[in-house]
Amino acid sequence: MAPAPRTGVLLLLVLGSPVPAQGQHATVPRAFELERRGNYEAAVDAYRELLRRSPGDVSALLGLERVLLPLNRSAEILPDARAALASDPASPAAHGVALRAWAAADQPDSMRAVAERWARLVPGDEAPYREWGAAALAGRRREASLEAYRVGRQRLGRSDALAAEMAQLAIADGDYATAAREWVPAVRRLPGYRITAVATLGHAPAFKRAEILRILGAESDFVARRLESELRVKWGDPLGGLEALESGLDQSRGQGMDALRALVDQLRMLRTRDAMLAQGRALEMIAGRMPPVQASRVRLEAAQAYSAAGDRDAARRMLAGLADDSTAPSAVASGAAGALVTVLIGEGKLDEARRRLTDLGPQMTGEEQAQLTRSLVAAYIRQGELARADSALGRDSTIEGFALSGWIKLYRGDLEGAVQAFKDAGPYAGERADATRRTVLLALLQPIEADTLPALGAALLKLEQGDTIAAARELEAVAETLPVAKGGAEMRLLAGRLSEGRGDPELAERLYRAAASPEAPATAPAAELALAELMLKRQRTGEAVTQLEHLILTYPESALVPQARRTLDQARGAVPRT
Amino acid sequence: MRRREFVRRGVVGLAAVAPGLPRLPPFGRAAPWLLVPMDDAQSDHLKAYGLAFRLLERGGRAEWFLNYRGGAFLLPADAATSRDAALAGVTAESLDDGRLAEIRGEIGGGNMDAVPLEKAPKVAVYAPPNAAPWDDAVTMALNYAGIKFEKIWDPEVAGQGLRHYDWLHLHHEDFTGQYSKFFLNYAGAPWLVEMVQQNRSMAKRLGFASVPAEKRAVAVAIEQYVERGGFLFAMCTATETLDLALAADGVDIAAVYADGSPMDPGATAAMRWDRALAFQDARLEMSPTMPVYSDIDGHQVNSPDRRQPLGSFTLFNFSAKIDPVATMLVQNHRQVIPDFYGLTTSFTRRRLKPSITVLAEEPGAPWVKYIHGERGQGTWTFLGGHDPEDPQHQIGDAPTDLSLHPHSPGYRLILNNVLFPAAKKKELKT
Repeated sequence: MAPAPRTGVLLLLVLGSPVPAQGQHATVPRAFELERRGNYEAAVDAYRELLRRSPGDVSALLGLERVLLPLNRSAEILPDARAALASDPASPAAHGVALRAWAAADQPDSMRAVAERWARLVPGDEAPYREWGAAALAGRRREASLEAYRVGRQRLGRSDALAAEMAQLAIADGDYATAAREWVPAVRRLPGYRITAVATLGHAPAFKRAEILRILGAESDFVARRLESELRVKWGDPLGGLEALESGLDQSRGQGMDALRALVDQLRMLRTRDAMLAQGRALEMIAGRMPPVQASRVRLEAAQAYSAAGDRDAARRMLAGLADDSTAPSAVASGAAGALVTVLIGEGKLDEARRRLTDLGPQMTGEEQAQLTRSLVAAYIRQGELARADSALGRDSTIEGFALSGWIKLYRGDLEGAVQAFKDAGPYAGERADATRRTVLLALLQPIEADTLPALGAALLKLEQGDTIAAARELEAVAETLPVAKGGAEMRLLAGRLSEGRGDPELAERLYRAAASPEAPATAPAAELALAELMLKRQRTGEAVTQLEHLILTYPESALVPQARRTLDQARGAVPRT
Repeated sequence: MRRREFVRRGVVGLAAVAPGLPRLPPFGRAAPWLLVPMDDAQSDHLKAYGLAFRLLERGGRAEWFLNYRGGAFLLPADAATSRDAALAGVTAESLDDGRLAEIRGEIGGGNMDAVPLEKAPKVAVYAPPNAAPWDDAVTMALNYAGIKFEKIWDPEVAGQGLRHYDWLHLHHEDFTGQYSKFFLNYAGAPWLVEMVQQNRSMAKRLGFASVPAEKRAVAVAIEQYVERGGFLFAMCTATETLDLALAADGVDIAAVYADGSPMDPGATAAMRWDRALAFQDARLEMSPTMPVYSDIDGHQVNSPDRRQPLGSFTLFNFSAKIDPVATMLVQNHRQVIPDFYGLTTSFTRRRLKPSITVLAEEPGAPWVKYIHGERGQGTWTFLGGHDPEDPQHQIGDAPTDLSLHPHSPGYRLILNNVLFPAAKKKELKT
């Protein structure tokens, strides 16, 4: 066999010429070190010394090219490139260097000659044309670069040759239609290009997108469908993206699962309802292509996505049988039970949810069970079933439990108890929005001196249940019973906001004006700001400006002054309205 | 008004401190002064300029303390000014005569000066009638600061309308008449269709054969405005294309889509750079598809293979007493400012005429950011880039809300330029 004698020859060469070999090893690190230190002039000499001994040394040749570039002497490498080619006529690296050197010397004919000579040595290879085009582009010759790719495509006789290069060139020109046409064959040939294709086409301005989708839509294979799918998702149409992928799955030749999984990954980055719905459907498709045991986990994920998207029927369909399936893995059964209870709560079937929670509780972790119990309590509260909420909550001494207890007390009119419970809950119970809501309520209750006020609890419960008309009416009635500075102004402000929200600006304005009383300096700035904003919405800009100026000058220490200034800027057209 | 005379080198700006030179009369005995600090104590740097401007509009007088607390303003503490400061959220410190005298002493002893501001300049912004108010940094800065301005366009410029204004701003207008070279890449985009139609009909209305011919005539009128003593401030691509249009005297530098004839292949060699304000010997970009004009711009943002990354630029320090104009233009609470792209982001050093003053540069880079020069009786200032608070601005981006950037050092540079013409002409010390 050949290896043994060849090893022997190499060994002889090394042993027979120890001095040059040692010198060569000493020069490479020296040249690198000089280059690293930015001593390019000396590095040029070091690399050249190396090339004199070994003209075909690719590392030295590329090193020389690197250090000549910052010296603006790139063209000087030509003799070294020629020597390298003489040493190894088929060397791709030497050809690349030669092409770039001719580009630096502004010699397009020589570039072409080098590329064509190289192409004759490697017929059928795209590399000579790719390097030629790249060298031209590096020399800022966009047309020459395009010409190189066109010649290459013609000589190679393949319409998909150099398609990725053509696509990238088109992207640089902003010609997204050509880029789309080129990326399809490029990805067909090398699927790894898909990510680049989507990334580059994804930047197309909105008015060019329809054309790109039309071009991709005209192609019938799975590659085009997948590109279309990913672009649609990227451009905010997740359901359209799923539809595009689904229409190509029959021709996917085994790539369907990969494509669906990649789509799910892409959809997970989005938080819109459509994205979650598309995620649920894609997961359902994946589950349909898997063995039943493995599919259960995916069906659970699909159910959770459907549930998050608000499609409870689809969620229930996915969960059917999963929660009670004793053969399903315990984590899946537990997740399914939780998802099922969540769906039931969402549908308002609270008693059934409580029953399922009691039955399926043993399959869940303690934390999951506690979380679902709190969701159930919150749902009871929203329905006004305060006794059941209290009973379901039990003696929950977590901060989330205190927060829920605070709401129950508040709606019963136990203001002192509610304030204490909200304080016990602190700022970390639940989501950040929940904490903000509790803080708003505390601010509302703070000026009120009474410990209990059932009428206020009832009014706020109406608000919780979405009956803003009744809530506003009852809040105004409560305000009549309170001194202006002891909660009256706050109640009117809240009632005004509710009235404005449900489209009664006249009533809102009356309530804001009543709340903007100098007797209630803690509430008046907020009421004045609300009044000014209402006026702006009603195109009464002059009055709004006067109101805002009054606020800023009368209550300069108010925390609302920066917001008032910003609104004033918007009213005057000094900043864009957002 | 030949206000540029104020800036002649050799002027010794000791008006505020030297006992023999005139001082501003006191604004009133009862009220003390307001010092508007422009260092980090200021709560809204941009609106502070508007506060000073509106005082001048009301006929009041102010002083600009160059290099003192970031370029502070001294204003009278009258009721209108105090109210205006409170409404605008501008920090203003009460100052009695004793403390003011101490400050004047401090200014007299350091690289600082006190420049009287006496007249609100009449400001014009060159922009097409349908230009979005939020797509021009200067318009945004003026609106935010509350500085009044008027919008003018080609008919006013061609019709001698510039005579009515002290200060003219140009933003991203393409004075080569090639629609920012977006014509091919954005073909069909509604905003481009409208821009082309608007420019073509204006060229026809003004009696020009093509948009490039008409835009060059406008460029020449602007150059004459400066020659006569106007203050010109340009940003973004207006800087580069204004000079290209001026230098293209008898040379076709426009692509075929703009004027029906291809660009002169020998255009680079035929340019008359003596006509240009700031640049010389630039190499023109010949490709009609490449949204790049020449190698004047160092960053070449729209050329993917030539684009340079953004760094930061540094403002130069000038002698306030000897070179007050340059000092005024660089007043800031930050010396180093993050760079921002524009169709023209920066100016290559090797393309600058030797007579110009560089106000800011990126140290070590082959480009500068902010330049100033004189032409005839007037002055011009060029700032590269589009929007100091939107460094990678793209067409269709959400507008910048300056209430979120009240301390923007980049926008301060723009507003320095607006107040600069308000500075009082100083008498030569002979």
